[in-house]
Amino acid sequence: MKLVVVGISHRTAPVELRERVDFNVRGVREALVALAERGSTREAVIVSTCNRAEIYAACDDAKRTRDDVARFISDFNEVPPAEVAPHVQELVDLDAARHLFRVAGGLDSLVVGEPQILGQVKEAHTAAAEAQTVGPMLNRLFHSCFAVGKRVRTETGLGSGAVSVSYAAVALARKIFGDLRGRNVVVIGAGEMGKLTALHMKTEGVHKMTIVSRTMAHAAQTAEAIGGASAAPWDELDAVLGAGDIVITATGASAAILTKAHVEAIMRPRRNRPLFIIDIALPRDVEPAAGEIEQVFLYNIDDLQATVRENLARRASEVARAETIVAEEVDKFAAWLRSRGAIPTVVALRQRFEAIRRAELERLDFKLATLPPEARMRVDEITHLIIEKLLLTPTEQLKAIGDAETVGAYTEALTRLFGLTDDAAAAAPRAPATGAAQQDAKVEPFNRNRPRSGR
Amino acid sequence: MMNITPLVIYAAAMVAYGWHFTERNPMVGRTATTLLIFAALAHTFVIGMLTMDVGHVPVAGATSAISTFVWLLALAYLYIELTTDERAMGVFILPLLVSLQAIPALRPGVEDLAPVLQGPLFGVHVSSLLFAYASFALACVIGVTYVLLFKEIKAKHLGFFYARLPSLQVLDRMNHVAIVVGWVFLTIGIIVGAIWAAQAQGGYAGDPRVQAMSLKDPKIIVALVCWLVYSFELFAARRIGWGGRRAAYLSTLGFVIVLLNFVPISYFFTQSHNF
Repeated sequence: MKLVVVGISHRTAPVELRERVDFNVRGVREALVALAERGSTREAVIVSTCNRAEIYAACDDAKRTRDDVARFISDFNEVPPAEVAPHVQELVDLDAARHLFRVAGGLDSLVVGEPQILGQVKEAHTAAAEAQTVGPMLNRLFHSCFAVGKRVRTETGLGSGAVSVSYAAVALARKIFGDLRGRNVVVIGAGEMGKLTALHMKTEGVHKMTIVSRTMAHAAQTAEAIGGASAAPWDELDAVLGAGDIVITATGASAAILTKAHVEAIMRPRRNRPLFIIDIALPRDVEPAAGEIEQVFLYNIDDLQATVRENLARRASEVARAETIVAEEVDKFAAWLRSRGAIPTVVALRQRFEAIRRAELERLDFKLATLPPEARMRVDEITHLIIEKLLLTPTEQLKAIGDAETVGAYTEALTRLFGLTDDAAAAAPRAPATGAAQQDAKVEPFNRNRPRSGR
Repeated sequence: MMNITPLVIYAAAMVAYGWHFTERNPMVGRTATTLLIFAALAHTFVIGMLTMDVGHVPVAGATSAISTFVWLLALAYLYIELTTDERAMGVFILPLLVSLQAIPALRPGVEDLAPVLQGPLFGVHVSSLLFAYASFALACVIGVTYVLLFKEIKAKHLGFFYARLPSLQVLDRMNHVAIVVGWVFLTIGIIVGAIWAAQAQGGYAGDPRVQAMSLKDPKIIVALVCWLVYSFELFAARRIGWGGRRAAYLSTLGFVIVLLNFVPISYFFTQSHNF
């Protein structure tokens, strides 16, 4: 069986095209069903996010499937093939596996190391499992890619460090205060920018949020827009700041609204309680010298952007380690793929045993005819069980073989020893889709190494 | 000889903690903790064997007191690590454990318990002080990490420690708890010691060590200085709102004094505590 991936991503296609090739619009499940009906794939998973639309498929004829899936992408999304074709990326077998592993590890993301992609890949696999379009091949592939994602997250620093300004502010607040629940946030200024950062803080479960603005009506409006926030008039600013832990300033004022002396006065009754001031206004709202006060942590928009840049640089330095993990998992997957080379032999061996059993039962039919029907059923059952028991160990052994050469030697030995017809062993991988699928299904009860479905 | 086995395992744990701190590989982290648990177990065994051997817990002499202190500190640290799931402090604690444990490993032997030391008060005196010192050691390490993280955040250069340490508030809180616990035990230890000394001066007045038990003895005076430093830290935290970096510096200063009292003064200067 062959493994292919066909699709577009932020690396190959402009955003205008990616917007039109989005399987989520018409439904991933519908797409999976429609693709299965075309009959060019044996298994399929569709990974569709705002940065990529990729179809992973297991098939018998890589060339035919690649062409058909590419056509399906334009058919299903109603985009002319001529527009999609130049941007389509196609990879086969281990290259396809490596690609998925890099995607799941966040190495192929627009922002390297972003954590959402692993969840999206998991969802894609779940959707395909529900649509019953995944089988042993893609199950194994996707569970391997989940392992890659997990290893990259725990063993490298690829996903660490905030890479957006608002997230950097939240991460800093967490490093200063620990848990943000129970903290008071003060937003000075009723503009859009302050509102956005406040919303971000709100998702962190802060205790209380107060909006202060020179115009009380604006403050009330913003507070209402955020929800769960309260507004306070400008002359209560000092009292509000005294009770606050995190201050976000985003006014349009042309001069500093908080001087060093002002912040010092606020800090005195607070004693040792830290104050984290995030100044996202331009020009700045807080005098930079205020950051010199012992328990005041003052960050402006430039500082936050600088930490974001540092984090991006650090992530880049972790890429090599993540690539090593990907390479290791690709090797493991390759070993598994090779071990699957033994499956046609297993199938042929089973068929041979089964044929002998049937022939013998038929030959002895006249002797068994005198037995009551229940006893005849027992005979059938017992002979069947004997065969299963006999074949259990050889099957497991064959499937555990990791290299193609040994598989070949075993196949040849078994073919000779049991007089398996050559074409029975050799033809299986190229058998018509339905027939081979059934054969695969037949040997499943023996396959103890099958990856568990679900997480 | 026996103290060498825990020393070797402590050293291995130190390497693992260091490796984990830089690489942040969870497997290495678990290995580090496992090694430390084994070191503490081996150490427990050693102390247990010595206790059975000589018939009392070996805490009377400076060397065996150090060994017991290392053991207590390892247990206290393990407790904190396992309850907070925070492994970053290990890299600072382990070098302390290893360097202190080297002393009993290189100077083996347990001193006999002088008759003057027999009695429950002496046991309370020594064990509360050792426990207090272990708390102060933790407070010092937490204080050092607080300052390292504080400086990174203030300098707006979020790097090595930022990625590895818990938040400033958590460190500040942990430091405070460690100081409170340490101060309580230090106070108990000193008071019980004074009561014991007064009793001993009745019964064993001829012993030169008992005669030396006064405020003129360096070990005793430095212990009181220590108590003053930590009392000030607690007072400042309550009354002036000192915390954060100032508390961290005071914790470090306090522990330097503790170490001074614990090692060089015990070995070379004291007239009253050389049993």
